[in-house]
Amino acid sequence: MSTHFSEDEFVLAYYSEPGLGERREHLDACEQCRAELASMATVLDQVTPIEVPELDENYESRVWDRVSWRLRGEQKQKKTRRYEWLAAAAMIAIAFTGGLLIRNDKPVRVANTPSATAIETAASSTQQQRDRILLVVVGDHFDDSERMLIELTNLTPDEDVDVSTERERATELLASNRLYRSTAQSRGEDRVATLLDELEPVLMQIAHGPSQMTPDELRKIQKRVESKGLVFKLRVLRADVRATSVPHLQQQPNI
Amino acid sequence: MEPSDNELVQRVRDGDDDAFRLLVERHSRSIFRSAFRITGNAADADDVVQEAFLRSYRAMASFDARATFTTWLHRIAINCALDLIDSRKRRDQRINDGEDLSLLVSRDATPDRIVLGSEMQHAIAKAMAELTGNERTAFVLRHFEGVPLEEIGQILGTKLNATKNTVFRAVKKLRQQLQPFTGSLV
Repeated sequence: MSTHFSEDEFVLAYYSEPGLGERREHLDACEQCRAELASMATVLDQVTPIEVPELDENYESRVWDRVSWRLRGEQKQKKTRRYEWLAAAAMIAIAFTGGLLIRNDKPVRVANTPSATAIETAASSTQQQRDRILLVVVGDHFDDSERMLIELTNLTPDEDVDVSTERERATELLASNRLYRSTAQSRGEDRVATLLDELEPVLMQIAHGPSQMTPDELRKIQKRVESKGLVFKLRVLRADVRATSVPHLQQQPNI
Repeated sequence: MEPSDNELVQRVRDGDDDAFRLLVERHSRSIFRSAFRITGNAADADDVVQEAFLRSYRAMASFDARATFTTWLHRIAINCALDLIDSRKRRDQRINDGEDLSLLVSRDATPDRIVLGSEMQHAIAKAMAELTGNERTAFVLRHFEGVPLEEIGQILGTKLNATKNTVFRAVKKLRQQLQPFTGSLV
């Protein structure tokens, strides 16, 4: 007589999986193994299929709304990164050109040459370009920050919440925020600089916080965002920034 | 006639977002059901549905038209569910401690279940929650969905022997936890 079934073989037998081959004959012949299989079946039969909740008729369109919203956000983020690269490249080019102009700048010659006006115009034009670039990227930055904060404040703090996506976005936003804040300060864009300054500690708290927040942690951060009126401020300034930057952009489609 | 999944995939690859909307609307319910059975929680299942579609969109270029879109999408969803289970260990700990347990088990009021009462339901939920993500997924697929072991291996990306061992471990753990409630010996 062959050996009794192992526990693993009982599992295969219970689920009628292939692979037992001739061992099935043993099961048919061995009362002890049949009893053991019945014992296993008694337990496993208790584990009945989980009842899936009924979904309402709009479920599909709600899923699409959320998925498409996130895809748009991702595409926007990619666009923002492109702008950031462009801005960085433009700034380097401007600094390089500026350096060349300063090196060649000899007071007596400049004062006596007609090209002095051209240099002034060029300097003023590059200044405007830098301002425009700053406004465009800051507008997108405000938009992204607002979306992330809205998502966070809409979460219900009644159980632990996974905020890893928001945390990741806050980390990215924090890096850009620092750059934009110092640029805005140096360009004298006080309103923009002040809001970026207010936004920074909140982004820092989210970026350095846990990816899984307890209801208390979530409540605290939501309260902080709400008490500062950050979402509202971002919305207002974003609209202002857009209104200022768009006409310039229309004049300069290559930027 | 409605376009097939593969036709829609091709249209998505060509940049047609409307085609992706059709795919989302066509498959979101079945993905939700699978995700719910693995996560045992409607909110988590919802997150899995969303994440699975996002991942599928990003990976659309790598979809091999020889496979069915449904299988491919379910595989992505199951991986999302496993990732989510990993990232929710803290809450799983709470589940182990006895919270939200009823979510993981059927509420079917069969005569057996009534006799076993809430104590058995609690034990099943606790035992399920103590399984690892892979064990729970493999068990759910085999036990609830009737998916053969070989196919489970394809979904989880594991070899047949490893898949068998995962299911064996899951069954062993469940038996150890539940045997006392059925009155028979392990």
